[in-house]
Amino acid sequence: MQDAIVVHELGKQFRRYDANRPRRLKELFIRGPHKLKPVEQFWALREIEFHLEPGRMIGVIGRNGSGKSTLLRLIGDVLKPDEGWVKTQGRIGALLNLGSHFHSDLTGRENVYVSGVIAGLTRREVAERFDSIVAFAELEEFIDGPLRTYSTGMRMRLAFAVAVHIEPDILLIDEVLAVGDLAFRQKCFERIQQFKEEGCTILLVTHDIGQVKDLCDEAIWLHQGKLMAHDDPNTVVTEYEMAMRAETRRRTPKAQAESSNNGKLVANKNRFGSQEVNIRNVRLLDGQGAPVTELNSGEPLCVEIEYDASIAIEAPIFSITIDHEEYKICCTTNTVASGLTLPTLQGSGQIRTYFERLDLNGGRYFINVGVYEQNWNYSYDFHWRAYPLTIQAGGSEKGVLHPPHRWELAGATVLRSSD
Amino acid sequence: MTSLTPAYPSRQWVYVRDLLRELVIRNVKIRYKGSILGIFWSLIFAVAQVRLFALLFRSGLGRDIPNFPAYVFVGILVWGWFSSSLNGCSNAITGNRELVGRPGFPVGVLPVVTIGTSLIDFLMAFPVLMAFIIFGGSQLTTGLLLLPLIMILQFLFMQGLGYLLATAQVLFRDTTHLLSVILRLGFFLTPIFYNPERMLPPHYQWIYNLNPMVHVIDAYRAILLYGQLPALLPVLYVVGLTALLLPLGYRTFRHARYRFLEEL
Repeated sequence: MQDAIVVHELGKQFRRYDANRPRRLKELFIRGPHKLKPVEQFWALREIEFHLEPGRMIGVIGRNGSGKSTLLRLIGDVLKPDEGWVKTQGRIGALLNLGSHFHSDLTGRENVYVSGVIAGLTRREVAERFDSIVAFAELEEFIDGPLRTYSTGMRMRLAFAVAVHIEPDILLIDEVLAVGDLAFRQKCFERIQQFKEEGCTILLVTHDIGQVKDLCDEAIWLHQGKLMAHDDPNTVVTEYEMAMRAETRRRTPKAQAESSNNGKLVANKNRFGSQEVNIRNVRLLDGQGAPVTELNSGEPLCVEIEYDASIAIEAPIFSITIDHEEYKICCTTNTVASGLTLPTLQGSGQIRTYFERLDLNGGRYFINVGVYEQNWNYSYDFHWRAYPLTIQAGGSEKGVLHPPHRWELAGATVLRSSD
Repeated sequence: MTSLTPAYPSRQWVYVRDLLRELVIRNVKIRYKGSILGIFWSLIFAVAQVRLFALLFRSGLGRDIPNFPAYVFVGILVWGWFSSSLNGCSNAITGNRELVGRPGFPVGVLPVVTIGTSLIDFLMAFPVLMAFIIFGGSQLTTGLLLLPLIMILQFLFMQGLGYLLATAQVLFRDTTHLLSVILRLGFFLTPIFYNPERMLPPHYQWIYNLNPMVHVIDAYRAILLYGQLPALLPVLYVVGLTALLLPLGYRTFRHARYRFLEEL
């Protein structure tokens, strides 16, 4: 079968210019035309080679700056390669920067037409699909209201609905699959599935390795512009994750100052991370704010993390896991999953997590705390099994949950009361 | 990159037409939504400007120009289309990062959208212009049929310049500032509210005539005010310039698009 995308020995060079390069005509006149040449060239991508059959979906993973978006742009023909070539077959559509053409003063209807045409449809094609777009977005009642009255979620739904009503032969997607609530996301994934069934070839650039595993037929992993792996998604994702863990270990300083209050932390044994952010102290507090190592089941718990960022850290992620002694993860939570994007942090501070009830069964548990790079690429500091917590609960000690519960007997004939 | 099965050409043609239409309509709507006087706002401004010039120069610069208000109005409208188009075009790439980076988007339309949006203002003023012409004593003739041709010529000329300006703006981010200074100067170096033949010493006339907008405005006036054919040679000069600028501009523009996306 003829391939939909062929990428052959593809290379793209970017140029860095002198910081004093004249950026303005004024400066050019004053200082003359020197420093116009780039001072440095580097390969953003090199020796990339793969091909993709029609109807297949490929996931591209890699850290920030690994060349993922450059690859997408080269395939989309908005960048010119410096080496090698890309061949594509058919019409190319793109799902990127959803809703960026929306204008608040125009109605939903007007915005659908504008963004539909920008996405590559003719006016007549938009008109034919209009009802279907609105139905997909579930915005029938609001479509003639100005966009300024829409919530962010509604805008995203509308943007996605327009974007998936194109009929490309090749679809390029950059980080936009996670919009809306769970039900809407499900619908988006179903639509992607449908694209594939219609024979559309899809290239998905994402940080979300879960999506790559769930949706893609194959995956490639880029690292510093090089193709590290091209295989089935599970294999590539596993390799990628292993490499990222190794990266975390490599960045963990060998002999780091033991600053934690309990002195039980040892680098690369129960403490991992680059230490750009340092977790200095972790306290487990009860409902009254007093330090505890033991709680009754159902009582509240507050985990207080004292951190110290030696340099400015953009949007770090804090994460907490509760482990049962026998290596079962009972509960995990992190700032991103809780919808909290942290600002750039520098210096020291505290962050607290409040668990309103801890309905765990009696037993020994550990609280693991970590702080991660904004895309989960590696950890700054992760303390594993350093903070024990004992839970007391009446009754059986099997299982990990101890939710509040009671028994009720109904419809039975009581022959003799127990006392 | 080569596409093995190109979209059939007629669809591409329809698509570009629809794209232009939607983007121009959007720009016009955004501009006038929420403004009480709506689309008449820029028209009112132009008329006020004409009245002011007529008042100031009635006995001076405009003394022996017949139908002076209509004369000025033609100049102001044509120049207004020119300057707002060029101002908009200079941001065609830098102001549209998302569209410029979108696979399959025909970036070449961006300056056309800008020029087309300003054209709507120009067309809105036409009925008023006609009133000025007729009440000022000029006659509308069949020569009026030539008007679209001269407008197309001006359009293409501005498009060529627009591509170059958008390119320059990618390389040097103060192009827009410089452009607004040049346009302000150009307002006085173009016969908008005076008659150059009376104002200039004859041996400087040829330098003055290098400015293509001199001939564009003259051509409009010949058709609209004097019922004459525009002078052929000056018009050919503008046609020649356009034939040079447009391909050159378009080529550098496409190059600048790639360059812009490579900048970190």
